[in-house]
Amino acid sequence: MSTDNTSRVATDVGGTFTDLVLFEVDADTGETSIRTAKAATTPPDFDKGVLEVFDRANVSFPEIASHVHGTTVVINAITERKGAKVGLITTEGFRDTLEIARGNRPDFFNLDYKKPAPFVPRYLRQEVPGRLTYQGEEREPVDLSGLGQIVDDFRSDGVEAIAVCLLHSWANAAHEAQVVDEVRRLWPEVSVVASNDITREWREYERTSTAVLSAYVQPTAQRYLRQLESQLEAKSLGGPTLVMQSNCGVGSVEAVAATPIAMVESGPASGFMGAAELGRQIGEPNVLALDIGGTTAKCSLIEDGRVRVMTDYWLERDRSSAGYPAMVPVVDLVEIGNGGGSIAWVDDFQKLHVGPQSAGAIPGPASYGQGGIEATTTDANLWLGRISQDDFCGGEITPDMKMTEKALREVGDRMGVSVDEAARGIVRIANNNMVNALKLISLNRGYDPRDFALVAFGGGGPMHALALATELGVQKVVIPAAASVFSAWGMISSDLRRDYFVTTLADVDEESASTISAAFSETEQRGRDEFADEGIDPATVTTERFGNFRYQGQEHTVEVLLEDDDLLPGGTERLAERFRAVYEAEYTYRLDVPVEMVGLHLVAKVKSAGHSPKAADLGPEDSTGAKRSVRSIDYALDGVHDADVFDAELLNPGMVFAGPAVVEGAGTSVLVHPGWRAAVDPYRNLILEHQATDTE
Amino acid sequence: MSTTNTYDPITLEIIQNSFQAAADEMFVAMQKTAMSSIIYEVLDMGTAVLDQYGELASSGAGIPAFVGVLDKTCKVVIDTIGLDDINEGDVFLTNDPYWGAVTHLNDIVVTMPVFQDGELIAWTANIAHNSDVGGMAPGSASGDATEIYQEGLRLPPVKAIAKGETVRAVMDIIRLNSRLPDISSGDLWAAIASVRTGERRLREVAARYGVDAFRAASRDFMDYGERVSRQALKTLPKGTFELSEEIDDGRVLHVAITISDDAFIVDLTNNPEQSTAPTNVSRDGAMIPVQMIFKSLTDSSITANSGTFRPIQLLTTPGTVFDPVEPAPMGFYYDLMLPIYDLIWRCLAKEVPDILGAGHFASVCATFIGGTHPDTGRPYSIIEPQIGGWGASGQRDGNSAMFSGVHGDTFNCPAEINEARNGLFVKRMELNTEPGGEGRFTGGRGIVMEYELRADDGHATLAFTRSKFPPWAVDGGVEGSPNYCEVIKAEDGSSSRYSFASGLPTQPGDVIRIVTGIGGGVGDPKDRDPKLVEQDIRNGLIDADRAAAVYGA
Repeated sequence: MSTDNTSRVATDVGGTFTDLVLFEVDADTGETSIRTAKAATTPPDFDKGVLEVFDRANVSFPEIASHVHGTTVVINAITERKGAKVGLITTEGFRDTLEIARGNRPDFFNLDYKKPAPFVPRYLRQEVPGRLTYQGEEREPVDLSGLGQIVDDFRSDGVEAIAVCLLHSWANAAHEAQVVDEVRRLWPEVSVVASNDITREWREYERTSTAVLSAYVQPTAQRYLRQLESQLEAKSLGGPTLVMQSNCGVGSVEAVAATPIAMVESGPASGFMGAAELGRQIGEPNVLALDIGGTTAKCSLIEDGRVRVMTDYWLERDRSSAGYPAMVPVVDLVEIGNGGGSIAWVDDFQKLHVGPQSAGAIPGPASYGQGGIEATTTDANLWLGRISQDDFCGGEITPDMKMTEKALREVGDRMGVSVDEAARGIVRIANNNMVNALKLISLNRGYDPRDFALVAFGGGGPMHALALATELGVQKVVIPAAASVFSAWGMISSDLRRDYFVTTLADVDEESASTISAAFSETEQRGRDEFADEGIDPATVTTERFGNFRYQGQEHTVEVLLEDDDLLPGGTERLAERFRAVYEAEYTYRLDVPVEMVGLHLVAKVKSAGHSPKAADLGPEDSTGAKRSVRSIDYALDGVHDADVFDAELLNPGMVFAGPAVVEGAGTSVLVHPGWRAAVDPYRNLILEHQATDTE
Repeated sequence: MSTTNTYDPITLEIIQNSFQAAADEMFVAMQKTAMSSIIYEVLDMGTAVLDQYGELASSGAGIPAFVGVLDKTCKVVIDTIGLDDINEGDVFLTNDPYWGAVTHLNDIVVTMPVFQDGELIAWTANIAHNSDVGGMAPGSASGDATEIYQEGLRLPPVKAIAKGETVRAVMDIIRLNSRLPDISSGDLWAAIASVRTGERRLREVAARYGVDAFRAASRDFMDYGERVSRQALKTLPKGTFELSEEIDDGRVLHVAITISDDAFIVDLTNNPEQSTAPTNVSRDGAMIPVQMIFKSLTDSSITANSGTFRPIQLLTTPGTVFDPVEPAPMGFYYDLMLPIYDLIWRCLAKEVPDILGAGHFASVCATFIGGTHPDTGRPYSIIEPQIGGWGASGQRDGNSAMFSGVHGDTFNCPAEINEARNGLFVKRMELNTEPGGEGRFTGGRGIVMEYELRADDGHATLAFTRSKFPPWAVDGGVEGSPNYCEVIKAEDGSSSRYSFASGLPTQPGDVIRIVTGIGGGVGDPKDRDPKLVEQDIRNGLIDADRAAAVYGA
């Protein structure tokens, strides 16, 4: 088979496995094919696992046109507190901003609350005099005379990276640039990052935290990316390595290494990017994307083919902790502690809960027989026949049914119900938690889930998807062919993408149109320049303009896509009206108050070649050839049924079957509830549709 | 047992989860649409889902101070309006603490009945601080008020929306009585959107599971709340605990708490006569600090409902500061509510040291700064609480720079936004490194914040408590440091120190310097780990001389 450098490959380093997806096009026939492989993740030398998975997939390095890489190295360095020792330089009077944070206490009844400790201790937080106004004017020049002493102290204190964040650098970056230049002059080898390199939005605590977190992971991330790049070069990789970012786009190694914090949520981002791309391929631009993994479930709403990207991102934030902000473009997602390994527990008052504690990989669910004694969602699914005992963990583990029963009985005894009822209860509570998460991204924001297709992936997505769809009234569910390696699959189609968020204060009226227009043009130029610096033809760059608007006097904003003529004469009223309509859809009312703009969001991207797989011809509908057996499965609210068991490997495009059924193999189990019809599409995705019945 | 047993427990639990989700969703809707920073940042607001009788089924996340107040209001609305006149699509308002609205006239409560299949099944409710409801001073609450009539428009329960149609007369009365009509109506509509959001969600739930299951779930949830409280109550130390404390204004507050196996009785009967100054707390308002401490002591993790608070008994005497009669003013109710909260806390700190640490700065430190924005020409007004130091516990140092115990997921205002929105300079915002709060574990640091004013016609009102008596220590620790503010005049550089000032005129260049207290320490300072002392010195939190003197290092 000749490939002529049209092959694209993606590698995704996850917590347990490193996945690979290879997309090939046969130059002679135009036939497209996909190859996947998995290898163990190899901390701390993650590149070993990456090379191993290339090996397993038998990839011919010189024939690769591009390689997209996703890694958890950034989030790991933060979670495990294994980053660099950081020194911080701030504006005089604000050295404690990082420690003061915002003063909030989410766990408000807990009077023994523990405030998150700052990533830089007070003695490594130093100040320089000099002030800018919020309009970006210089009120007092920046005084660099103290930097020599500061840098000397940092050096002797073992600082490895320096973050610089000065007041109002969102409006004017000049002072930060002066400080950075002087630091580089004084200490050329040190890693240094200025807040304006990452964000041009206001709020000094959030910007300081962002710069600090970026500095904290920079040495680790740089080392890792450069090492990987040189290893792949040594293998004569035929194309560039691009790095997956949290905004659903990819960037060059050089660009990402400069602000590595942009990678923080790259794993989920690529899955949601994949869902958007899949939606495009099959003509479903509006998608609820659901990713159920081992410890959490994540979901995101895709409207008109667009993933939503925001900068309101916090690490380690939950109901018990304020967390740490990182003002970087991250796909808008809701994450809950509800995955396959989530532990079911009964409180002192017979109430059943699932998660957020997880059994993790070790000891894992009780059924793994590795010492886990607490029942998890996976155990309940197994007990109810929803996962095959023969196909457990891809057939690699023989489940310990005794331990499974014991763990579930414990739950049942505490509630006063049978083992079956306990298992069913766990599945229902887990489903309910996920339904609530899906409501948060849809109903909560004025979207009706019935207008969306649900795309479910990750190990657990296909098992729970139809119950969730039924509860939400969703009529169509899609299980991707590559559901178990979907993040890597999504990476292949990711565009080169940069998101710019710039605080821009303006009224939305005729007079301000030119100000707003100029702000967009300036940012667009910046986008083209930055791409040009990486050797990309500016002519290939496309942009999309979004604005963040609110009624005058409000704080929170609503993002609206700008159309070409919005900023031309007569256009601003149309724009304001579009804001009012979006606002009303979400909040039920409109106000007779002027509309103002607070910030712009510009997306600059260079389209990737995508997957563009070739559609296979549909074969016969008859699916009996793919049927393996019949098994009793408990569908919880939909009853216990004898279900047809299908082998995923044997299902071919065009085949059709009806629930109750289950599809096994390929690392996941697709549960087809009674009343649903399944069809294999030309790309081997499973399309499930709810059947109207006479009784309904 | 009860009829709830006819429903399977999982179904009930799923419905109960949806009560919490609805209350949370209402909270976020309000926060995202409000016009006033006191709502969207300070979170001077609360949301609740109630059953058909007005009993609390679930409260929204965000802030502790309004959990468990909206049931009281809702019941007054039902009694006043009468069930015959309560229809689908109606929305009711009230703001008067003598008519069920709990706090002060600024806080408008919005409630909405939820109907399914023609039956009243629940209520949704929202309370939020309105920036101006009329009265004798901008912002309505005035230190000079002697009667509630001077604090703004008084609304008994009234119908603002009838079967979905806005009652224009009511909205017009509210607008006309506000100095900030656009902001007031913006905030009111945000509150209406919030209760409507909850109503929609609850109807979906009732439609999905049926009205009977919905009601059973609500009853069962309250019983669950009660069981959780009663079980925890059993683990608390039993007896009667008493404490008196003088507060900054010279009044002496008194509390007696009796904890038994099945009751938590807080006796506030022995307290000063009601005041003609606006620091009175309605009886319902006095219940707030009691519920907050009770919740923290029993189970800080789940949301609260009416069942949670069933073991509480509150005793008050009509005509006193915690049970005033008309027309006592209440504009600054929180300056008495926080001291009594702190006193209850202190009274029990020795009994339950693993939950209750040493005293925190315990003040709202309410800061009102206003004038004309020099760049936009529009009026601006800052209405914000301050952050300060929390007390140490027996295990670790106290948190620095947090809002007081009556606040929750409340956010301070970034200097960059403050400067743009309000046309002033924030010269500094840093940790307070004054002495105080030393101990085996030290109190957390308060802050020093300086506003340099630019407006020609500025004015400031500052209400700081615990200015005279610093945060209290435990077990041999050193007490913390006081809250205060200073005004440094541009014209002559003179500096004056205040704990309370009302309507101070300000000129461009004047600096208002806010200093919030350090929390109390726990344990003898001589027992502090020398490594921690060394860290404190290195971090510039204490100088070597004082460290040597206090810690004997």
